[in-house]
Order: sequence, then structure tokens, then C-alpha cells
Amino acid sequence: MMTHIFVLAEHRRQKLRDVTWEAVEAGRKLAADLGSELTCILLAGNAAGMADELAKECPKVLVVEDPKFETFNSDLAIKSLVAILQDKAPFMLVMGNSNSVMDVAPGLSVALDTALATDCFAFEVQDGKPLAFRQMYNYKVNAKVSFKDAEKIVVTLRGGSFPFTPTGAAGGVVEKIASPVADEAPRKRFLNYLEAEKGDVDIASADIIVSVGRGIGDEPDMEIFESLADAMGGVLACSRPIVDKNLLPKYHQVGTSGVEVKPKVYLALGISGAFQHVGGIKGSPLIVAVNKDARAPIFRVAQYGIVGDLNEVVPALEEKIKELKG
Amino acid sequence: MDIIVCLKWVPDTSEADLAIAGGAKDIKKDDLDYDINDWDRFAVEEAVQIKEKVGGKVTVISVAPDDAEEMLRESLARGADEAFHLWDDAFEESDGFAVAMILAKFIKDRPFDLILTGTLADDDCCGQVGGMLAAMLGVPSAVLVSAIEPEDGKVKFRKELEGGLYEAVEMDLPAHLSVATGLNEPRFVSIRAVRKVASVEIPVLDREELGLEESQVGSAGSKIEVEQVAMPPEGEGAEIIRGRAEEAAARLAEILKEKGGIG
Repeated sequence: MMTHIFVLAEHRRQKLRDVTWEAVEAGRKLAADLGSELTCILLAGNAAGMADELAKECPKVLVVEDPKFETFNSDLAIKSLVAILQDKAPFMLVMGNSNSVMDVAPGLSVALDTALATDCFAFEVQDGKPLAFRQMYNYKVNAKVSFKDAEKIVVTLRGGSFPFTPTGAAGGVVEKIASPVADEAPRKRFLNYLEAEKGDVDIASADIIVSVGRGIGDEPDMEIFESLADAMGGVLACSRPIVDKNLLPKYHQVGTSGVEVKPKVYLALGISGAFQHVGGIKGSPLIVAVNKDARAPIFRVAQYGIVGDLNEVVPALEEKIKELKG
Repeated sequence: MDIIVCLKWVPDTSEADLAIAGGAKDIKKDDLDYDINDWDRFAVEEAVQIKEKVGGKVTVISVAPDDAEEMLRESLARGADEAFHLWDDAFEESDGFAVAMILAKFIKDRPFDLILTGTLADDDCCGQVGGMLAAMLGVPSAVLVSAIEPEDGKVKFRKELEGGLYEAVEMDLPAHLSVATGLNEPRFVSIRAVRKVASVEIPVLDREELGLEESQVGSAGSKIEVEQVAMPPEGEGAEIIRGRAEEAAARLAEILKEKGGIG
């Protein structure tokens, strides 16, 4: 039996999200490698438009329309996916590793008795069996993971690892199925969206950003970083641990859960480069990093780097910049 | 409100130099310091703060080897009421699923309103035990949660989405929540506070006491297996500017000027 590939489509405010297309791309490749078929599953309040968009890229689209899916409801998504997939083994379900799907994948894997690998950045097929590649230990080590002899597999994908190329030529079939949760009283209820508070600095529109991370230490002298940012004519930003420690307000946080930025120059100081952070600086043409750990993942996305002690490099850099400005 | 907090004992790899162990199935861990998983520290603090507000009991548990007693005791000093240490040599090499199974076995006969975990573990970076445990216990679950407000029979909270967006959500109790870092400020634990709980007994429960079969734990009970680990290839990515700090900084300043990084 061929391992059938399923992809869960994710949407917000009546629009398919980028993670969906990356999952379609990964699913397409897996289906080709395993010689099997690709089906997209869309759970939506109103599927109009979205189902047709998916059908252009996917040979088959299964649609559940239920007002309860107007926003993402992980609890009901799990119940619906169990109903749809329970008799489909062997299968592999592919989803983006979004903050919403993080609520779904582990519970679903238990409910469907599947093997699960989260946050995968690549796959390989060996003897007809898929293997997943993911990262461990603060994202510093790559691991190849096997699903043993599982006939049911769930995977989630690292954002940005499967860039989507539209073909527009799938000519897919859309099949509507009755909502498996039509009579369910939801245990989890969406109330409303909340936007993060806005501050006096808008790092999203800055051309030059000096950004600090965990590597600046537990009791850092923030002034040396502010002073460097001033000398460069830029603004100060940070990664998540700095906000967690209350050293800077949330609206300074760069990353997928903070602000996505596109400066001309991004100077990362003591930032290790976890993917959540790197996801927020993808659009920056020049990334420069200073870190004491030569293995820090940030050096894999930066164009230039210095391996060294921030307390020495930062003041020296500021002095030199002031000289160059004259 | 009875809250159970699940903790993980992890090697600190954030700043350490890592090396691959013989066999290439894991990293060398002998020289690494172990501590409570960063996200889980926030989970304990949140549980204690909720208890301080609405009353109840906080229980901390961990599937971890003997050394982790230190983490459980520190959690008692933080304000947890009781701690249980779940360990057996047979638990070695358990994946997230097997760990969730061990936790579920311990929790299933105990009354609870809320289970708190951290969203991710710094060692395997899977983010799966909490949600798996919730499914095994039949309760709803959410991750990346902050602003937790328990009400009668339900809990309201804020869940982090992407790009600075959050959603406000309401969920029936009992439930599982994985907390986001930064949702509170974990309190400082004084040596005196640790001394006060020095004699509190922390029961250790092994596989048989938990009623688990050998096939349910360790690699036998695991759904996935790490076949190989490797350091990502070096030399990929950034051009490293060498030299003493002043020299490297001077060269970097020139590059920045050239590329429009000095406004």
C-alpha cells in the first residue's frame, strides 16, 4: 500500500497562510518520493475561494465547512482529523509548525496512534520509508529521526524550509464532507484577537537595527548597546529572552512571535539565532553577527560575523564608527 | 485549584561547546551542567501565583534521573506543596510519547484542575509532551499561553500567534496549558527557603510502582528514534572577521559603512 500524503491547510481571517503553501510543497515532494498521492484538508467556516485556490496546487481537496472553524480550534481540529484519517493508514499528515498547529500535532498523534516528528526541515526516503531531519539542543545539532515501523505518521515543518513554487496546474477535485464535529459543544472557545501593544519605536520600519540577545548576560549594561545604536543611527531591538527578563518592552522583540523586520542592516549581538528569531529577519539584505559561540546558528544566516566577547567588540565598534562618521 | 506542573531536567546547551558522542546518536553530556528547562521555571512560578490568588495545591513532577531532585526541591522552595520523582533506569531513552505515558500513568488517578508545562524543551526542541499528555488524559490543551485567569469551571488565557498577534481563548477545566516564557517573573529562591524544605520527602516512583509495562517505556515505548546526530557543517554562512577585538571591530565598522549601516 502506498503511503498517502495529507496536508492540513491553515487560514486566518479568510486567507490561506504561507505555512499552508510550504506544507503543500513538502507534501508534493514526499508524494513524489513515495510514489503516492497528495490530498489537502481544509477545515473552514466558509471554504469559498480557499478551496479553489488549493485545488490549483493539489490534486484533491477535502473540505469540512462548519462555522466552528472560522477561527482555528485545535480541539475540534483534532476530532475532525481523527474522523477523516482513522481508516486511511498508511498515511503521513504534513502541517506547518505554526503556533496554532502546535496545539494540534501532539494530541492528534495520541488520538490517532501515530508517530510524530515536529519542526522538520527536510525529509529523505530510504527503502520506501520516510526519515525526518530536525534540530535539537537549542537548535545547534541536526538529528536524523526514524519513525520505526509506523504506518501512521504526523510531521510538522520548520517555517521557511520548503519554499513554495506555484504551478497553478493541479486541476484538483474539491470534495465536501459533513462536519465530524457538527454536534460537538467546543471545550475550547475563541473569544477575540488581540494586537501587541505599540510603543514609541517602530522597529518594523527601521533601516538600521542593533539587536541584542541572551548572550549579553544576566545583568547587562544596556547603555553600551543603546549608545552603539545611536552612533549607527539605528534603533535597539532584541530577541525573546531580553523581553522575558524585562530588559526591553515587547515591541522591541524581533521574530515570528514578535515583529518581523526588514532593515538594510541587522546587527545581531549575543543572539544565538533560534529559528523563531531568524524567521523575523528573513527580509534583511545584510545580517551581521557578534557571538562568542562560533557554532551559533546565527552565523549560518549572517553574511559577516565576529566570534568574540561583546564587552570588547561593542565599545571598539562604536568608537570606530564615530571615527568613520568624522 | 489543584495544579500539576511537569518539569524537565535538561543539559544547558545554550552557550556550551557541544560535541557528538561515540555512535553519533547523541551529544556528549558528561561535561554539561543540568538545570530545570527554562520554559518550565515559568510554569512553576505561574502555578504558585495562581494558588496564591485562588487557593489550592501545587504538585510538581518530573521524569528524570536522581540528580533532578535538586530541581524538585527548589520548586518546593518556590511554593509548590508536594513533589514526586518518577524514575527507573528503564525510562532511559524514552521519547516524548513514552515520557507523556509515564506522566499520564501517574496523574490519571489524581484529581486536578490544571496541568501546566513549558511549551518547548531546550534539549529535544519537540514541544510535544504537554499536548500528548492532555490527549492521554482526555483534556483540552493549548500552548504558548500567558495571562492565565481561572474562573468557575473554566480558564481564560491569551495565546501567542505570529507577528505580534494574540488570541483570547476560554477553555473548560480540567485542562492543560503550556506556558510561554516571560508570562511572569520567576521569584528569587533564597537559601533559607531551600533549607526550609530540605527535609520534605520527595517520593521516587519506579516503573512497577507506576504500573507500567517494560514495553511502554524507554526505547521500546518510543514512537520515534534518533538514528544519527551531527553538528551542522562549519564554514557555511558568515564570513568570519578574524583578529583581536579592536581589529575585527574596525573591519566591521568599514563593512557597515560601505553597506549603509551607518545612518
